[in-house]
Amino acid sequence: MTMDLLLDQVRGIVQYYPVILKGLGVTLALSFIGIVAGTTIGFLLGIGRASSNKWLAFVVGAYTDIFRGTPVLVQVFVVFFILPEIGVELDAFTAGAIALTNIAACFISEIVASGIRAVPVGQIEAAASAGLTRLQQLWLVVLPQATRMIVPSLVGQFVLLVKDSSVVSAIGLLDLTRSGWVIVQNIPNGLLVFSVVGVGYFLICYPLLHLSRRMEKP
Amino acid sequence: MIKFTALNKWYGAHHVLQDINLAVAKGEVVVVCGPSGSGKSTLIRCVNGLEKFQSGSLIVDSMSVANGANLRPLRMELGFVFQQFNLYPHKTALENVTLAPIHVRKLPPKEAVSRGKALLEKVGLGDKFNAYPQQLSGGQQQRVAIARSLCMQPKIMLFDEPTSALDPEMINEVLDVMVALAKDGMTMIVVTHEMGFARKVAGRVVFMDKGAIVEVAEPEAFFTAPENERTREFLGKILHH
Repeated sequence: MTMDLLLDQVRGIVQYYPVILKGLGVTLALSFIGIVAGTTIGFLLGIGRASSNKWLAFVVGAYTDIFRGTPVLVQVFVVFFILPEIGVELDAFTAGAIALTNIAACFISEIVASGIRAVPVGQIEAAASAGLTRLQQLWLVVLPQATRMIVPSLVGQFVLLVKDSSVVSAIGLLDLTRSGWVIVQNIPNGLLVFSVVGVGYFLICYPLLHLSRRMEKP
Repeated sequence: MIKFTALNKWYGAHHVLQDINLAVAKGEVVVVCGPSGSGKSTLIRCVNGLEKFQSGSLIVDSMSVANGANLRPLRMELGFVFQQFNLYPHKTALENVTLAPIHVRKLPPKEAVSRGKALLEKVGLGDKFNAYPQQLSGGQQQRVAIARSLCMQPKIMLFDEPTSALDPEMINEVLDVMVALAKDGMTMIVVTHEMGFARKVAGRVVFMDKGAIVEVAEPEAFFTAPENERTREFLGKILHH
């Protein structure tokens, strides 16, 4: 390949910046929704998973196992193609956001449950002995300690979520990955185009990785 | 103030508390001792409902412990000090002390803080308000734990081997706080092997073995003329060093 051709292709990609930016925006939006909603729901599920109510713990465990044990791509297809069969029409973005939030919540649930279980029983006894209600024990004593322990795993999960969000390109959503597919139709240099796409993901994930490393230090 | 009547508890087939009868009067200090596995910790943990029992009755401050609905109001009146301190590691000493008064007693935070500071000063930790538990020695942590219980202004204080996890040189600083508390007229049950403490402040000493109360006596009689063979054997083991 000549240098001129390469430069031409780079120039071509630069001209596609609106597509790349749009894709980056969709990926960012999906990641943000997935992280915020997935963490919120994940904490609720995790509290249920670690509950002393065996029945509740079992139901939550079974639910999260189903999704943790199947490919995200399949789950996105189910939400997007199968829900309309039962009358739930969703646009691609909503379908993608739901599927990603759900899978994030399922993984985060197990992380949260493991954090809750790691809080020494003496902590709960001390809180209970002081007359705190179950909810106060959870909110004031158990969750703050559990959260501190799971921050690194949690951020790791966020990074996976950002990268997993690329599966929504399979239902036609113009995210960062799909913007690469669009560009490569016109600029036939896959290595170059998808390197740019990769850099886009890295730019989102790196601050998260950096954050997690900083938080791991005491 | 506290009354055990024919109380029994089993862990599966293991009969851990056998026909316990014991009454503790207001202002009385009762020391419970006995070999490990004798059921003394289980006994004191029954008082604030950390352990359930299967038969008999336990009335504390005119409330039945067996009734789950009584548990929270009861616990508000009972301080409990653990062998392992169990301070909240994510809270400072002062926050440990004020948490329950603010959230359970609904005390205005300002009032809780001034009460908490006064108590930390009283246990000799006036310079440690903002220290986290891991920055404190064992003896200091246990004193914070005592202040934490006192900040709820309990009617009864329960101590479950409060000095057993401490290095020897820190035991006295904790015992001093407990002696002062006893002299202030606090009703206390103390599970401990600190016989010096028992001699100094206990109204009665209870000796337990294999889940049963073997002997109850005033300290003088307990140490000089124990009636039961097992008590003599136990005292021989812990006093002759």
